[in-house]
Amino acid sequence: MSRFNTMVKTARLIVCAGPGGVGKTTTSAAIGLRAAQAGRKVIVLTIDPAKRLANSLGLDALTNEPQRIDLTEDESGELWAMMLDQQQTLDDLVARYAPDKGALSRSKENNIYRLLSSALAGMQEYMALDKLHDLYTGGYFDLVVLDTPPTKNALDFLQTPGRARQFFDDRVMKWFIPSKTAKKGLFTRVFDPGSVVLGLLGKVFGETFVTDLVDFFDTLSFLQDALRTRGEMIDFILRDPQTRFVLITSADSRRIKEALFFHEKLKSLDQHAEAFVLNRVIPRFDQEDLDLSTIEALGALLEDDNVEGLPESLRANYARLTKLSEHNRGIIDNLARQVGSDRLFTIPMFGEDVHDLGTLEMLGRHLTE
Amino acid sequence: MLESLDQKRLIFVTGKGGVGKSTCTAALALALAKRGRRVLVVETDAYSAMSVILGAPESEHTIIDVGHGLHAINLRSAQSLVETLTRYLPSERVVKAITQNRVTHSFFDSAPSVSEFVLLDKIMSLLDDKDNHWDHIVVDLPASGHAVTFLSVPKTLNGMMKGVGPIAKRAQDVDAMIASTTRAAIVAICLPEEMPVNETIELSANLKKTLGRGLDLTLVNMVHDRPVDEDAEDDFERASMRLRIRTNPTGVLADSSVAAPLRVLAGNQLSLKWFKRDQIYLGLLRKNLKCEIVELPMVYKIKERDIVDELASHLNTDPDPASLAS
Repeated sequence: MSRFNTMVKTARLIVCAGPGGVGKTTTSAAIGLRAAQAGRKVIVLTIDPAKRLANSLGLDALTNEPQRIDLTEDESGELWAMMLDQQQTLDDLVARYAPDKGALSRSKENNIYRLLSSALAGMQEYMALDKLHDLYTGGYFDLVVLDTPPTKNALDFLQTPGRARQFFDDRVMKWFIPSKTAKKGLFTRVFDPGSVVLGLLGKVFGETFVTDLVDFFDTLSFLQDALRTRGEMIDFILRDPQTRFVLITSADSRRIKEALFFHEKLKSLDQHAEAFVLNRVIPRFDQEDLDLSTIEALGALLEDDNVEGLPESLRANYARLTKLSEHNRGIIDNLARQVGSDRLFTIPMFGEDVHDLGTLEMLGRHLTE
Repeated sequence: MLESLDQKRLIFVTGKGGVGKSTCTAALALALAKRGRRVLVVETDAYSAMSVILGAPESEHTIIDVGHGLHAINLRSAQSLVETLTRYLPSERVVKAITQNRVTHSFFDSAPSVSEFVLLDKIMSLLDDKDNHWDHIVVDLPASGHAVTFLSVPKTLNGMMKGVGPIAKRAQDVDAMIASTTRAAIVAICLPEEMPVNETIELSANLKKTLGRGLDLTLVNMVHDRPVDEDAEDDFERASMRLRIRTNPTGVLADSSVAAPLRVLAGNQLSLKWFKRDQIYLGLLRKNLKCEIVELPMVYKIKERDIVDELASHLNTDPDPASLAS
C-alpha cells in the first residue's frame, strides 16, 4: 500500500501546504474524496476554491458552516466541505469571548478592528488554524483536510499561532492600555513609559489613530487569554503524530525550492512531509517517438483525414512538447533523489478543468493507486 | 504594444500567485528598458525573484544595475520604516527610541498597514529622486487578493488619522499618485485559467470601487498556440475520435505500450485541448475587461532568463495588423 493510502486511512489531520497557483485546493478536495471513499468521515476546510470546483462539490454559496457533499455512491464514508470566511470567523471568535454585549459592539465599531481581518498580516492563516481547532476538537470528523492559504513566506504559516499571540502580547498591551489603578498625576504621566511611546506615535500617526489603537487594545483585551490557549492547542495539534503534512507544488524549480524550504521548516514542529505532490506535470512526450517511420505511420493512421502537411505539423508540435516534458522529468528525478521516490506523487496536466466529482476522483487516484 | 504604459512613471504589477507574476514583471521592465528608458524594478518580497530571473546579485534595500538600463531593488519594510520615521520625526534619538524598542518593534511588525505605507512612502521618494531620474518604476506588488488592500492603505490611513499630521499629509499625496490615471498604471498578470481570470475580473471591479480607477493593462501569460491549422482541425479531430484518443489523451500518453504515432496524436490532442481552453478564458477576459489585453505566448525554453528575453521582445514587437483589425 502506498504511503498516501496509509495516510488517507489513518491520519486525523492532513495539512496541505505549498506555493500559490499549483492546484492546492483541488488536490486537497481530491484527498478528502479518496478518504471518504475509504469509509472515513472527512471535512475539507478550504480557503478560496475555484467556482467550478466549489460547484462540483455542491458548494455554490460561501458559508462558514460545514456542508455535506452528496457522493451518490453507496459509501460508508462522508465528505463535508466548508470555505473559510475570515471576517465571520473573527467575528465569531470575538462574539464567543466578549465578556458582554457592550464589548462586542465596541469591538465591531472600532476602526482598527474593521481593518484587522483583511489587513493584518497572517490573519487569514490564523483564522484557518482557529477554525481547524474547532473542527478538530469537535469530535465528529475522523479526518480534517486543511487547505492552507498560499503564503509568501513559508514561515508565516507555522509561526501564525505565535504571531497572533504576539499582537496581543502582555508587554505590548501594557504600553497601550492605560493602567486602571495608576494615579493620573503629572508624576505618573511623565514617568509612564507607555505614554512616552503613545506620545511619539501620536506625533507621527496623529492623535486619532493612537486613540483608536488604545481603544482597540483595551476593548479586545478579553481576546488575549483565548488566543493564547487556542494558540497553544493549535501548536499541539500540528505536532501530533497523527497530523500529516502534504506539500503540493509543480514541476517548476522555484516552486520546488519553496516546498523544500517549507519542508525544512517543518522540523521546528518535529514534523516532516509525508508526501510531495507535483501537480500539472507535463505528460511524458518522448523524443524517441519521433523518427521518419513515425511520420509515415502517422500519415497512414490519418487515412482519408490526411490533409497535406498535417503529419509534419503534428510532429513539430510534439517535438516542442518533448522539451518541456524532458525538463519536467529532470526536475522530478532531482526531487526524487532528495526526498525519496516513495514520497513523490505526480498528477498530469489534464486537458480540462476539474469540474465534477468524477474528474476529482480521477485526480485522487493518481495519489492513492 | 504597451501604449497604455508609455507615459506612466509608476507602474504597479499584480496577479494571482503562481501566474508568473515575477517573470512577467521582469519581461515588462526589460521591454521598457530596451526602448531606452531608465527603469527600476521594485520588489517588496522576502525573497528576491528578480535576482534569480535576471541573474543579478542579491541585494537588500540597495539599487543594483542589471544592464540594458534596467535596475532593481528589493525593499525591506523594516529599513523603510526607519527611513520614514527619520523623515517625519524631530530627532534621530526619537527614531532610535521607537525602532530599537522591543515593544514598538513588535507593534510595527504586526500592526496593520504600517509596512505597506512605509514601502509606498519609500517608492514615492524614489520617484522624487532628482539625482537618479527614473522614467519608469515598476513595482512587483503582492498577489492580487492583497493588492487592493495594499494600494488603498494611504487612503485608509489618512481616514484613520482624519487628515491630521505629517503622515496623513503624505498619505494623501501617495493616494493621489495611485489614483492618477495619467501618472500611475496598474497591470494585472493572468493565466488563461478559471481562478486567475475570475480574480483579474474581480480585481478590476475592486479597484474601481476602492480607488476609483481600473486596470490599464492585462498580460495573459503562457497562452498555448494552435497545434494544428484551423483548416486541418476537423480532420484531425475526426482521426482522433476514430482512434479513441479524443476522450483520454493523458491516459494514452501514460500507457507506455502504446505505439509512437498514437502517442504523437495524443500529445497533439492534449495541446489542442489546452489551446481551446485558453481561448475560452481569453474570451471571458475580453468580455469583462475594458483595459488593453496582451497575450504572451507559451515559451518552449528552459532557462528563466531566456524566457524573460523572449517575452520582452514579444512585448516590443508591433501588434499584428490582423489582430488590430479584429
